[in-house]
Amino acid sequence: MSGLDLATVIASTVHDMKNSLALLGQAQARWLAQLPAQLQASPERGVIEYEAARLNGMLVQLLGLYKLGVNQLPLYPAYHELDDFIGAQLARHQEILDSRGIAARAEVEAFDLMGFFDQELLGSVVGNVIANSIRYARSTLLIGAREENGELLLFINDDGAGYPPAMIEQQGDYVLGLNQSSGSTGLGLYFAARIAELHERDGRRGRIELGNGGLLGGGEFRIYLP
Amino acid sequence: MQDYSDKRFLVVDDFNDFLSSVKAMLREMGARDVDTANRGEEAISMCRQKRYDIILHDYNLGSGKNGQQVLEELLAARLISHQCIFVMATAESSQAMVLSALEHEPDAYLTKPFNRASLAQRLDKLVERKTLLKPVLQALDKQAPAEVLAACDRLAQQDKRLLPLCLRYKAGALRELGRHEELERLLGGVLADRAVPWAYQALGNLLLARGDLVRAKEVFEKALQTFPMQPGLYDGVAAVLETQGEARRAQEVLEDAVRISPLAMRRQMQLGKLALRNEDFQGASKAYRSAVEQGRNSRLKSPENYLGLSQALIASAGDDSLDKRALAEINQTLAELDNQYGDDPALQVRARLMQASSLQKSGDPARAAQLAAQAVAQLDSLGEFLPAEAALAVAAQLQQLGQAEAGAAMLKNCVEIYGDDAKVMDGIARLTDDPAILAGGKEAVELNRQGVRAYQLGRASDALELFRRALALQPKNISIALNTAQSLLRLGGDTPSAELLAECRACLDAVRMIPSSDPRHERYQQLRRKAFGT
Repeated sequence: MSGLDLATVIASTVHDMKNSLALLGQAQARWLAQLPAQLQASPERGVIEYEAARLNGMLVQLLGLYKLGVNQLPLYPAYHELDDFIGAQLARHQEILDSRGIAARAEVEAFDLMGFFDQELLGSVVGNVIANSIRYARSTLLIGAREENGELLLFINDDGAGYPPAMIEQQGDYVLGLNQSSGSTGLGLYFAARIAELHERDGRRGRIELGNGGLLGGGEFRIYLP
Repeated sequence: MQDYSDKRFLVVDDFNDFLSSVKAMLREMGARDVDTANRGEEAISMCRQKRYDIILHDYNLGSGKNGQQVLEELLAARLISHQCIFVMATAESSQAMVLSALEHEPDAYLTKPFNRASLAQRLDKLVERKTLLKPVLQALDKQAPAEVLAACDRLAQQDKRLLPLCLRYKAGALRELGRHEELERLLGGVLADRAVPWAYQALGNLLLARGDLVRAKEVFEKALQTFPMQPGLYDGVAAVLETQGEARRAQEVLEDAVRISPLAMRRQMQLGKLALRNEDFQGASKAYRSAVEQGRNSRLKSPENYLGLSQALIASAGDDSLDKRALAEINQTLAELDNQYGDDPALQVRARLMQASSLQKSGDPARAAQLAAQAVAQLDSLGEFLPAEAALAVAAQLQQLGQAEAGAAMLKNCVEIYGDDAKVMDGIARLTDDPAILAGGKEAVELNRQGVRAYQLGRASDALELFRRALALQPKNISIALNTAQSLLRLGGDTPSAELLAECRACLDAVRMIPSSDPRHERYQQLRRKAFGT
């Protein structure tokens, strides 16, 4: 096959994989509905749903990266209420959070705090961070937002052990996509940084930062949007 | 959590499993009245019977109308109130953006699969927002743009969360009221703060409508740097280029837009038209074929797509005769046209000519001539002028079918009716070199131009004299007739004399065959109401 464009082949395969995964999810939901109540709440269900969500998140990321590469990632920013946006992200993960016994809460500085961003793109970034934090959090997850120096700051905290020191020190490399040895984490950060950068205002661009400590003592993921 | 016990729900999806799972979620949320449907057509007829408060509609239903087409139809036929919540369920989140329906967006998109928490969170928020926006939404239902403006100003002050939405509603209301300067200021203000996609689109469209092509193009091109995936901006650039006479570049730009968002009937139709004009018959066939296909389920379907497809297919053959496949497609297309629009005499004539052209190219010139002669006879008895573009297409076909005399008569008519429109004159010039036809309207058009200038300077009686002289030369010219009628009414004031009214009525009657699709039709109706007092 001459002129085979590997990136395009991978992208269309990923697209099919995502569809397969969605069908698996639907079949699983139908199956569950037929089970008696006590079997429905089995731990295996939590594993299946969590890993399916993670897989889906990774596939979405891959597709997003492909589209970024060919400059076809649609950006459709609008004004959104942070309260609403964070609420929607937490709702999407409710079953998994419940099954892991993690209490998640939102903390928005002011009830009418607004942001200007693409909610699908930012949603996929936040979704990935949540899915990741769930793995490391002991019992609590906090998503918050506030205004800082005229920018919007969105932060996701957990009470786990935090990011490894090396990762925090070399976060620039992860963000640049230089260090992809750790698999999905590196890719996820790269994706997040690119999405943040797409948000621009008067020459200023969005960015991400990793840290430890924060309000819950564990890892903290920050995304700044101008 | 909101109270859903008194809300009327409609859930539309082609999978019954999905319907029952959503129904169960809604019941857990306290809903009691939940109807379901499998098809968009079914949903529309259910909305005729019952006022729903919340509609959850799958975007891609397999066959029949998709969610976007259903939403457009519900709004156009006013089967749902603006207070109704319409949520579009999509299979993937990126789909939402490609829908490109800036005019009629649903209240929210929900990516499948979703859980109960997400559904509840989304609906809670939408109910809250629509409750806050109620005064605006009621004004929209009443089609009272002035009230929309007042309500927006009030609400935006009370709650800053509503400001961005209110600005958008205000922009729509100002456009409707024709308050263009205020609209431009508002959009400029929005864009000075943030690069907001809809505001770029609205500003570009406004400038385009005003004929400020240079600035319109600047706005669209600037917006495209930030939003290269927004197809509406390409439509804008293409419209500017077309008006500037750059049909080839306009076609290229629209081809880009179609690559991003192929599911837009009007865009495909426009592309077909441009490709036909650029003699890219293959491209035109493809675009018109998509437009016909997509139009089948849409209230926006247009007979022009069927005719355009046939014309492109006939022209693709060049000097050769039509192959069997093309011939079959033409016959099928024209049969479908007849089936859909059989009661429209003007379309019948045009379809008959198209049939004649295809017979001429498939070895049956005798039958072609017979059909062409029938069409010519029918043309004389039409109750409406053909719209300019249709008239030009018909004239070209008459020429090709050996009906030179009828073709020339058609062009002469065109000069008389539309001679003040430079675009139409360009089209006529492509079809004939006959100076008697081309120069036929010159003097009248010049007089009309002077009349318009005098009218604008407030010299109404000078204007009337000029219009009268123009009209004497070209009594069927729509613009001149309307201008004459308008200056007569202006001079007549509140109590026009009987003589003046009679003259006014006579010039309006001379153009009573104005096509209902003509942009000046509304103005014609208004003048008629004044002159005839009905």
